[in-house]
Amino acid sequence: MGIIDMSTSQPLLHIDGLQKYFEESSNVLDIFSRKESTKIQAVDKISLTVEKNDSVAIIGESGCGKSTLLLTLIGLHEITGGDVLYRGRPLSKFDRNDWKEYRSKVQVIFQDPFNSLDPKMTVEESLKEPLEIHNIGDQRQKVRSILKDVELRPPEKYLKRKPANLSGGEKQRVSIGRALILEPDIILADEPVSMLDVSTQASVLKMLKRLVGEYDASMIYISHDLSTVSYIAEKVYVMYLGRFVESASTNQVLENPKHPYTKALVDAIPVPDPHYNRPRTVMSGAPRDPIDLGEGCRFRDRCPEVIAPDSIDIDQDAYREVMAFRERLERDELFVDRIRKSIEPDAEGQSLADAIRDEYFTMPLSGNNAATVDAALNEIAAGESEAAERRLRERFESVCEITPEYIEDKPGWHVACHRYYNIDSQHE
Amino acid sequence: MNNYDSLLEVKDLTIRYQTDRGDITAVSDASFQINEGEFFGLAGESGSGKSTTAKGIIGGLDQNGFIHDGSVRFRGKEIQDFTEAQLNDELRWKEISWIPQSSMNSLDPLQKVSEQAVEIGQVHTDFSEKELRQKIKEMFDVVGLSQSRVDDYPHQFSGGMQQRAVIALALFLEPSLVIADEPTTALDVIMQDQIFKYLDRVKEENSTSLLLITHDISVIFESCESVAIMHASQIAEKGSTKAIHDNPRHPYTFLFKEAFPDIREPDRDLEVIDGYPPELIGEVSACSFVDRCPWAVDECHEDAPALEHVGDADAGHAASCFRSDEAYELYKDRELAVQTPPPHGDH
Repeated sequence: MGIIDMSTSQPLLHIDGLQKYFEESSNVLDIFSRKESTKIQAVDKISLTVEKNDSVAIIGESGCGKSTLLLTLIGLHEITGGDVLYRGRPLSKFDRNDWKEYRSKVQVIFQDPFNSLDPKMTVEESLKEPLEIHNIGDQRQKVRSILKDVELRPPEKYLKRKPANLSGGEKQRVSIGRALILEPDIILADEPVSMLDVSTQASVLKMLKRLVGEYDASMIYISHDLSTVSYIAEKVYVMYLGRFVESASTNQVLENPKHPYTKALVDAIPVPDPHYNRPRTVMSGAPRDPIDLGEGCRFRDRCPEVIAPDSIDIDQDAYREVMAFRERLERDELFVDRIRKSIEPDAEGQSLADAIRDEYFTMPLSGNNAATVDAALNEIAAGESEAAERRLRERFESVCEITPEYIEDKPGWHVACHRYYNIDSQHE
Repeated sequence: MNNYDSLLEVKDLTIRYQTDRGDITAVSDASFQINEGEFFGLAGESGSGKSTTAKGIIGGLDQNGFIHDGSVRFRGKEIQDFTEAQLNDELRWKEISWIPQSSMNSLDPLQKVSEQAVEIGQVHTDFSEKELRQKIKEMFDVVGLSQSRVDDYPHQFSGGMQQRAVIALALFLEPSLVIADEPTTALDVIMQDQIFKYLDRVKEENSTSLLLITHDISVIFESCESVAIMHASQIAEKGSTKAIHDNPRHPYTFLFKEAFPDIREPDRDLEVIDGYPPELIGEVSACSFVDRCPWAVDECHEDAPALEHVGDADAGHAASCFRSDEAYELYKDRELAVQTPPPHGDH
């Protein structure tokens, strides 16, 4: 990886271990408390190759880093690690001319058609602007032909209109036309239909897919919505807290997801059928903030399948709670002070350790599991959090605390989960 | 025994907005009812009047909006003439709670979430401060917020977290009826499912009712017993979700339904509904779907069809379409024709 072979043809776009961290700027309070600046790990060692005519989708929930990835790809964020290679040339070494070429060949369609068009410009002016910037002639003809392509017919009806006189679907069609008018190699589409009514979504998606083919372009489609992805992309990358956890062909991911997070995501999609009894999700909580995430699988604090050590005997749901609790403890997110304050004055005899247990544990524990947790809770209440961390780690440490490799489980099917890693290494 | 038939009964409701161009009819002659322990979905595109219907029910219309005609009964009692004070004393929060579409502005920025919860709780219930704090904390768990964050101010939350805090507040006094306007549309699917998992539970335990307003018919089909489909101010069709799913009678219903992806059939062609809902000024004297309907006939232009009983399976199944007997058959025939195109079909 990362070695450029100039003799053969290069992939169109190669994202190679891309990393984008933000330093959270210190505020006055942090300076007084001498707090170290924290790192927001928005995108962490992402790799992805797009060949000519590929349509791939990146799927993830809000906050997973997919929008940061997009802004980094178009040069609006500085890369903090790894690189992006466009036809073999690294973005980090681009000069002015390289950027100009790249920005005509890599076009973006943004989520919000209500804000991405200049309200003072007519449709014609909006579509002409990129042609003028890149000194391309025959503008009149090109604008008319692109309007026909995006199904705004007859073009004369739309040329002089301003965005205020277009519906959401029509605006997004103009945005798509604007992205295609320079005949780009790559379209980056960021949730292009999520703000449109469902009755319009399907037609815009169909059209986008058709045009990407007709213009001989490739597409990276970014969305939180797995339910429509089969209409637009052949391959899906699933992202969680800055990393890819799984990638495979769209149908494989939908029909037989491997990573526990992908499973949860697919299983939570509503099915439009009152006769179908889809079980509700087994997940609880929400993803963490992507701050100082450290080693290990990033889904482990919510994962239904987090792997308990062989040495202990524990119910899986109880183990999940212990792991979520350890995670908070180690990240200093137990809010012990607030829990202490919230112990109601008339609740006599309730110790701080009990209050913490009440807040974070619902499943029964027994034997040595219970004894270890009780001892740790007492240590936390006594202000000895580090001792509690050590005690809990010693008994409950999971293989999931080691970052799982992103392995190819089957040809073309990558997954980053110890469930698969273990199975494979046992077979070998 | 109760002296009323259903928890909420909306009858012949017409709501208009005063504008310079005349009165715009946002809701026209809408009727439906919600029973105790029933989850009822109100579906439609943006601009169909579904949010206005909900606002009309709880006295939350914009300045220029007014109820032109019809009645809204809660537990048999007409509530549209309630004063603000009456609405607050007798209905809001404890009986009917409201999750607005954009929750960003619905929390008081100057109060901690716990203080807002305690204040609402003390006005509307006899619970102690301690009990109220405990209740809001439990709700924070349900919506995936850390319990200890109940003492945060709204600005300390992200947009998605504020939405979840509002959901927690709306549910924590265990109201009889929750009116939720696109409550989970801005949330991710897993969080949406976590919230509906809780709603299923309170329905089971407390017979809570839900009026769910959303464009997302998949959520309604899985979570609700009944549904009304709205198009441009009119209820096009209503009935049990099963009847509407299996035997839709209004063209808008089946086109809308078929516009939704189904994860079980990733390759199915999605339906597209051409055109946009019209803006209606004054009396509505035609079917509001007529300009978008592939099966419209002269009659549809001349009169607004009444919402009339259709089908056999469900006594509450009604559609407002002059061709409700044949429309779905015509649609299925057309689909069949498309699936077997002539050898030189256009591309």
